[in-house]
Amino acid sequence: MNRKKDKGFESPRPYKLTHQVVCINNINFQRKSVIGYVELTIFPTVVNLNRIKLNSKQCRIYRVRVNDLEAPFIYNDPTLEVCHHESKQRNLNYFSSACTAAVSAVDPDAGNGELSIKVPSELWKQGDEMKVLKVYIEFSLDQPKGGLHFVVPDVEGSMAERAAHVFSFGNQNSTRFWFPCVDSYSELCTWKLEFTVDASMVAVSCGDLMETVYTHDMRKKTFHYMLPIPTAAPNISLAVGPFEILVDPYMHEVTHFCLPQLLPLLKHSMSYLHEIFEFYEEILTCRYPYSCFKTVFVDEAYVQVSSYASMSIFSTNLLHSGLIIDQTPLTRRCLAQALAQQFFGCFISRMSWSDEWVLKGISGYIYGLYLKKTFGVNEYRHWIKQELDKIVDYELKIGGVLLHPTFSGGKEKDNPTPHLHFSIRHPHTLSWEYYKMFQCKAHLVMRLIENRISMEFMLQVFNKLLSLASTASSQKYQSHMWSQMLVSTSGFLKSISNVSGKDIGPLIKQWVDQSGVVKFFGSFAFNRKRNVLELEIRQDYTSSGTQKYVGPIKVTVQELDGSFNHTLQIEENSLKHDIPCHSKSRRNKKKKIPLMNGEEVDMDLSAMDADSPLLWIRIDPDMSIMRKVEFEQADFMWQYQLRYERDVVAQEEAIHALEKFPTPASRLALTDILEQDQCFYKVRMQACFCLSKIANSMMSTWTGPPAMKSLFTRMFCCKSCPNIVKTNNFINFQSYFLQKTMPVAMALLRDVQNLCPKEVLNFILDLIKYNDNRKNKFSDNYYRAELIDALTNSLTPAISINNEVRTVDNLNADVRLILEEITRFLNMEKLLPSYRNTITVSCLRAIRMLQRNGHIPSDPSLFKLYAQYGHFVDVRIAALEAVVDYTRVDRSYGELQWLLELVQNDPVHYIRHKILSMMAKNPPFTKAADSPLCNEALVDQLWKLMNSGTSHDWRLRCDAVNLYYTLFGLTRPSCLPLPELGLVLNLKEKKAVLNPTIKSEQGPGGSELEEEHVVMEPAMSGVAMAPQGLKRKAETPLGSSPEPGQVMQEEPSVKVSVKSRFPTQEEEDIDMETVHDSQAFIYHHLNMLERPSTPGKEPSSVEQPMLSMPGTPMPILSKESMSSKHGDHHHHHHHHHEHKKKKKKHKHKHKHKHKHESKDKDRDSRAFSNSPASGRSIRSPSLSD
Amino acid sequence: MADPTMMGSGYLNSGNRSGGSKACTSPSENYQLARRRTLQVVVSSLLTECGFESAEKAAVETLTEMIQSYITEVGRCAKANCEHTARSTPTLSDVVITLVEMGFNVDTLPVYAKRSQRMVITAPPVTNAPLVPKALMAGQKRIHPAHIPSHFPEFPDPHTYIKTPTFREPVSDYQVVREKAASQRRDVERALTRFMAKTGETQSLFKDDISAFPLIAAQPSSIPYLSALLPSELELQSLEETDSSEQDDQTDTENNASNIIQDDPGADKENAVLPPGGGMPSGKANEENMIDNPYLRPVKKPKVRRKK
Repeated sequence: MNRKKDKGFESPRPYKLTHQVVCINNINFQRKSVIGYVELTIFPTVVNLNRIKLNSKQCRIYRVRVNDLEAPFIYNDPTLEVCHHESKQRNLNYFSSACTAAVSAVDPDAGNGELSIKVPSELWKQGDEMKVLKVYIEFSLDQPKGGLHFVVPDVEGSMAERAAHVFSFGNQNSTRFWFPCVDSYSELCTWKLEFTVDASMVAVSCGDLMETVYTHDMRKKTFHYMLPIPTAAPNISLAVGPFEILVDPYMHEVTHFCLPQLLPLLKHSMSYLHEIFEFYEEILTCRYPYSCFKTVFVDEAYVQVSSYASMSIFSTNLLHSGLIIDQTPLTRRCLAQALAQQFFGCFISRMSWSDEWVLKGISGYIYGLYLKKTFGVNEYRHWIKQELDKIVDYELKIGGVLLHPTFSGGKEKDNPTPHLHFSIRHPHTLSWEYYKMFQCKAHLVMRLIENRISMEFMLQVFNKLLSLASTASSQKYQSHMWSQMLVSTSGFLKSISNVSGKDIGPLIKQWVDQSGVVKFFGSFAFNRKRNVLELEIRQDYTSSGTQKYVGPIKVTVQELDGSFNHTLQIEENSLKHDIPCHSKSRRNKKKKIPLMNGEEVDMDLSAMDADSPLLWIRIDPDMSIMRKVEFEQADFMWQYQLRYERDVVAQEEAIHALEKFPTPASRLALTDILEQDQCFYKVRMQACFCLSKIANSMMSTWTGPPAMKSLFTRMFCCKSCPNIVKTNNFINFQSYFLQKTMPVAMALLRDVQNLCPKEVLNFILDLIKYNDNRKNKFSDNYYRAELIDALTNSLTPAISINNEVRTVDNLNADVRLILEEITRFLNMEKLLPSYRNTITVSCLRAIRMLQRNGHIPSDPSLFKLYAQYGHFVDVRIAALEAVVDYTRVDRSYGELQWLLELVQNDPVHYIRHKILSMMAKNPPFTKAADSPLCNEALVDQLWKLMNSGTSHDWRLRCDAVNLYYTLFGLTRPSCLPLPELGLVLNLKEKKAVLNPTIKSEQGPGGSELEEEHVVMEPAMSGVAMAPQGLKRKAETPLGSSPEPGQVMQEEPSVKVSVKSRFPTQEEEDIDMETVHDSQAFIYHHLNMLERPSTPGKEPSSVEQPMLSMPGTPMPILSKESMSSKHGDHHHHHHHHHEHKKKKKKHKHKHKHKHKHESKDKDRDSRAFSNSPASGRSIRSPSLSD
Repeated sequence: MADPTMMGSGYLNSGNRSGGSKACTSPSENYQLARRRTLQVVVSSLLTECGFESAEKAAVETLTEMIQSYITEVGRCAKANCEHTARSTPTLSDVVITLVEMGFNVDTLPVYAKRSQRMVITAPPVTNAPLVPKALMAGQKRIHPAHIPSHFPEFPDPHTYIKTPTFREPVSDYQVVREKAASQRRDVERALTRFMAKTGETQSLFKDDISAFPLIAAQPSSIPYLSALLPSELELQSLEETDSSEQDDQTDTENNASNIIQDDPGADKENAVLPPGGGMPSGKANEENMIDNPYLRPVKKPKVRRKK
């Protein structure tokens, strides 16, 4: 990958793909199967092309022909089962590296693939003529678990009447799931796509629909698509269903598709798409690259938005009618995102995974520009702050997010992100959360670049990329030009420096090549004598996820005489900065105070310190550093900042800071903001919550009615009868959002008994009672849902005497009222469902809250019914969330099983993903605490889930890994039993000695591992390379404490295998390899196993013989190698233990290497990482004392 | 002279119609019987005048019927002629024209009337004319103003054209109205949901008392997104109502400016009001025919040589 840095793109493959035909002849909805063929036109770039590797997963391949000659092929997918056989090794380090290795083994970006085709020898004799090869593959898919999703509602009628449809989906490059291809973003070709579907259906795919032709029996029709713009296979998609067709009234080349009956919603939701088109085309000064655009809205979507060449697939739940307020901006955002990705992501693709950040960054950045234009600067800045907060929180909590990882020489050793429990080498091993944060950081960094080089230059760079690409795309037969359509980090940076003439190297180095954010602490003092502000800015760059910042920082000081910007230089050793003040502290009361934006305002200055001219200070007000700032200034300064600073970000910061100052002055400032309708509504909404927090802190001194009550009355209740709310009129959206939020915040108020004040509860109940939407032109479903949320917020734990059983009779009176409302709402929803069933969702949350607080009996059965397939997805998620919560609180094994069952069997991929991510967020137990749920069966179950149960969905596999990590940590789960008790004592001793930093000592564990893998997955499978990945873990900080079981478990197997009749170098052959080497190893085996194609045979059956063949000789080999070293290790640990226990990690390492010079370092490090003792924490030495 | 006859015949007519079905002795019936008896006397005297000694009852009845029909017809036509000339009371000339039209030589009438041998019939006994049920009088009838001639019809009863005052004042107190609307709605909702809960499957939050807070059981649906996304009929209905009537006047006078959605809300409504799945307006369809979109093009027939 690094080679490409300065030169053009170099393909990892010995051929160039120029054109691919995909033809799907038959789609059977009843059986959920697909039959078709592909034909790839390739130009060999080497003299003797004898082997072609393609990607294909879960497809059943019937035959392969190269230029009309039958070609033998092998199909092997190591990712199906990452660690073969029942491994005793249940630690995540091992799994993670095995998984990475498996993915690498089929990674098209490394020239690999699951499908290996042997070019018939007749053809490779002509190889030097560089003849075109046509690779023809017939395949079928039966009940695909990934790649294509069938939605077939269980009702009467034909498939079209049932609104049955099918669409492609996947996480990153997952096209291989539904047809054989080169599943890489960097292999571009032109496409011909043909789909034969039932006459009542429409097949929507990429490119231009050339014609639609009936079949001879007139019962089906074939859609012929041509995509003349070179496109990567992952950007190809398909959606087939009885869609209703809407041609965009503003742009006739844009067509929208939705499921039957939803056309009115589609019309409304798409009515502003043309504005987004116009916006992007204008700022990029570039036409939309494809000749047409299609939007398809499908049910059970994998993600809300997915973009493919000239089409986007959306969740049908984004559609809404004109009655709905809240969904409107959300849907628009999704459309804008999809369209931005059409330019950067689909049309312009990436060279390698490490260049992904450029595409995500640019598309996210121009999407941000759209937000700014459409929703206003306030919304934009609020969004930027939100995104910045998100990424900062994530990095500080989980660890750094690295945008541009470099993997030199493919060695796992220099793993750039040792803090993570997954590898970032491949998009498919990334945790979903991490990837979201990655995208978030990417667009923020683009914004930083814009700050540096100006927006004008930024847009010029984009334009340059696009025009280069469109020139290249029109070169029909010069496929070597097509690499211009791929963006790389270096190419992008070069464009920037060419266009702007500025050096953004340091910026890139800081935020792109390095992970982590900056954490500032600021405080100040005013020196009256010198009239100088002494600002101190400290940094924390030692905690995880942080980095050190050196460079300029902007500080804005609002003084009496105006607002002044200062640029300070953050340097190594300077913490203090003197900033001269412009104003004298003598203040002229008559004078207005000029603000940053030139506005002059009157302020009541009585609150401020008479000696200081400082009103407020802001550090890095433009958010031009990826940072978190904790700044200390007096409460009145925050109050001034809240009232008078016009930047919404500053206002939000002030609100956040004021939580710590529960004083009447803060209360007043917040109330004033709440009342000011010129203030940005989201700031006012935040002020509500801050006000309720302050009110709770000021409980004893609070005077007057509960916070916000009189305000709400004044704004939203009738003048004549203040206890009755006006009939709804949501024509003013700002006040609508405020009206929704205030009750929710008010419900958080507590009185001295820590109960929600009666007055507030009655107030909310009255709001519900008098709610009248008859004259409103908008739906009030979100408002009603929030009123239920308010009821939920008002709940406090029940006072229970000796755990009495909750019955109707002993129900608290207030709770009874609440329950009545919830029951009524929930029942009404059955008769008159609300949009997206928002009310049901809120009711379910409320019921769970009642249960959790002990007001009603805790019981998951209601939620389980609502979680069934067949309820609206939002409802299901809410119900599942309740079950997840129940599982944790009640430690229910049954429910845990039920959830895991659903993860494996639910038809909706999104639900499966959500269950796992909700369980990771709200885990039934964690590695820190003991739980009866934590048992061996569960470990096995989860292990199986991530090992083989989720092979069809990368996202789900990563979710499972995440959950496993949350529950058990990186090391061997503590609940696993000790397999061989006989050795306990012996090992205990040893354990005390073991120090994870000493490589030699890890020998036993590591060897055991290798042995396992060699035995079980001899050869072929990419898993064979698993151990390489483990090296990475050597540097992994070892967080969790070890369990005795870990050591013991490993030992026996090692002992058993003590036999020394076998040559060491053989073993090294296998396990020393880098990834590439192991691939060579696989090659070797493939050759050995060359066999004729097996038309009609299942891939699995192909796989089996391959596995069994080399299986026998290997195990012995590896076993020996390990054991031979075993004895030494013992000595070493003792040695270390006695003399070096207090030394630091790396010193140990060094020492160790010294002693084991004879041994291969790779081996050692790997061995170490594999060891059960790798979990041994730093505290081990002390234990041994 | 003609007037009473006509009226009488009118009554006779109606009397006959109703009399055929049932015998009754109401005052109006008596009145009609008396008239008929008089007519019989007239017929009999005319017969006597012509020289008949006796006559069968059936013959007299037939002749009575004939004379009655004749007189009725004269009356009807006279009234028609009179109304034709926009008058309400028939005059002599109306009757004359009628008789002429019926082929009767009017000139012979005075001679016939003054013939010597005519018999004089005693006036029929005075019977009470049937009481016309009086229309409900409400308020004072207005008299004609000076510019309206007195022969014009009288004003109808005032209650038919003037607001009728009722004495129960409707409740206009805002608080009470809202209170009532709220509690009514709540009652309806509660009754409805309880009913649904009673008649269908339920779930309960309490194990000890299943009927305490009955929840209608959650039923999975085959296509859950439809009900969750499409606006309910109620919402569409209320939307239409809102379109016609203005928003509450008690709302704030805040300006409509919205920085979130700048769309014309009118356009949105129009789309939303469309019935789900409804066809496009024809104008739109025409427009789309002109649009060259590949998805709107007709599907081609398979080529003959094309192999399947």
